[in-house]
Amino acid sequence: MALYFGDLLPFSSLLLEGLWTALYITLVAMVAGSALGVFLYLGKVGPGKAVSIFCTCYIEAIRNTPLLVQLYLIYFALPALGINLEPIWAAVIGLTLNNAAYTAEIYRAGFESVPHGLREAGKALGMKNAQIVRYIVLLPATRNVFPALTNQLILLFLASSIGSIISLPELTNAIMSVSNTTYRTIEVLAVGGLLYLGVSALLSLASKRAETTLFRWAVGARV
Amino acid sequence: MFRAFDWQDLIPLAKGAWLTIQLCAMSGILGVIFGLILGIARTSPSRIARWISTIYISCVRGIPILVIIFFIFFGIPLLFPGLELDKFTSAVIALTCFAAAYVAEIVRGSIEAVSRGQSEAADALGLNYWAKLRYVVMPQARKIMVPPGVGFIIGLVKDSSLVTVTGLVELTHAGNIVTNLTGDPIMTFLTVAAMYFVICYSISLLGRLYEKRTGIQVDPLKLPEPASV
Repeated sequence: MALYFGDLLPFSSLLLEGLWTALYITLVAMVAGSALGVFLYLGKVGPGKAVSIFCTCYIEAIRNTPLLVQLYLIYFALPALGINLEPIWAAVIGLTLNNAAYTAEIYRAGFESVPHGLREAGKALGMKNAQIVRYIVLLPATRNVFPALTNQLILLFLASSIGSIISLPELTNAIMSVSNTTYRTIEVLAVGGLLYLGVSALLSLASKRAETTLFRWAVGARV
Repeated sequence: MFRAFDWQDLIPLAKGAWLTIQLCAMSGILGVIFGLILGIARTSPSRIARWISTIYISCVRGIPILVIIFFIFFGIPLLFPGLELDKFTSAVIALTCFAAAYVAEIVRGSIEAVSRGQSEAADALGLNYWAKLRYVVMPQARKIMVPPGVGFIIGLVKDSSLVTVTGLVELTHAGNIVTNLTGDPIMTFLTVAAMYFVICYSISLLGRLYEKRTGIQVDPLKLPEPASV
């Protein structure tokens, strides 16, 4: 069969709009989710027993069920309770709640990676608690957490494609609707795939660059 | 009209769960086989093998699994007219293509995590490439692979839910059908979620049991992130 990409030209703005929507919900869910993840992590390791159990259950429940089922619960089950959400809000809320559980686990791994001996060393040097948290725990933990967080951003961007199943007009949805209009299925899947690939390659390149600039003081010194 | 969600609705959901398990078992096994080959090629001394595997791995890892599923499901019949694949086979192919790339990354990471001195010692002993891999590197890399591998299989179970778009009646699609019958999405999808949870949590418990038995423990930060969200 002959490939012909010309039929796709009139739809390029549709595809780009889809890409923009995908990026938009990814960024919102990343920012909101990683903020919510901080509270989940603090709740999990904090002194409150009930809070800690709740946070652990939430994290495990999210991490052991598919995002698609979570989106179905938000998009199809909430209306049965009288809460109707637009697809874009359902997707943003779903991705945020999902991302929060994953980032909470990333924070946990990051903080656990700072050896306890370092804190004791700080105490022995006569540092105040706030100083210990800031210089000995927070800085190395941030550096350890950063690559995992940027990786999570890329995974979240790819996961935003699942929004197409609840009829959110993002990139995958645009790909399928162009395919249904033009019957140029292979061509549009190739173009769409390349768009995804390009953006995730850019994100990964940018995060590598950011890592070396932000943590220049710590190259090769990972605790 | 609608009837309430009751115990008899569990039967189609259980059937869907069984299909999900079969789907993941098949594509998991195939994915591990191809992933091992790709991962070894990715670290091999042959430049061509490295290039091909790198291109494959980075392409698949940069594209959503949903697009890969659409490509296999709609693209293959167009590219190879006359080749008729049933839904289950195309789902297995799509999930295998996807799994192979992520498993290959885990394999590469584990091979690279084996200390260089081991590999150099094997060279000094005059072992050739395959003997070095077989007797020195792989036995050590195998232990490092287990924890992220378990995480990846859990990710595969979750990602298999996306196959629902092809109309294959696995767990999530069964949930859709039951919702249409009962008009009760809350109970249905909570049950579906609970079933996924049981499958995934059992896999992680098995993984932990294996870790305890073999004493394999890995720094949680060094694990490649789970492949799916």
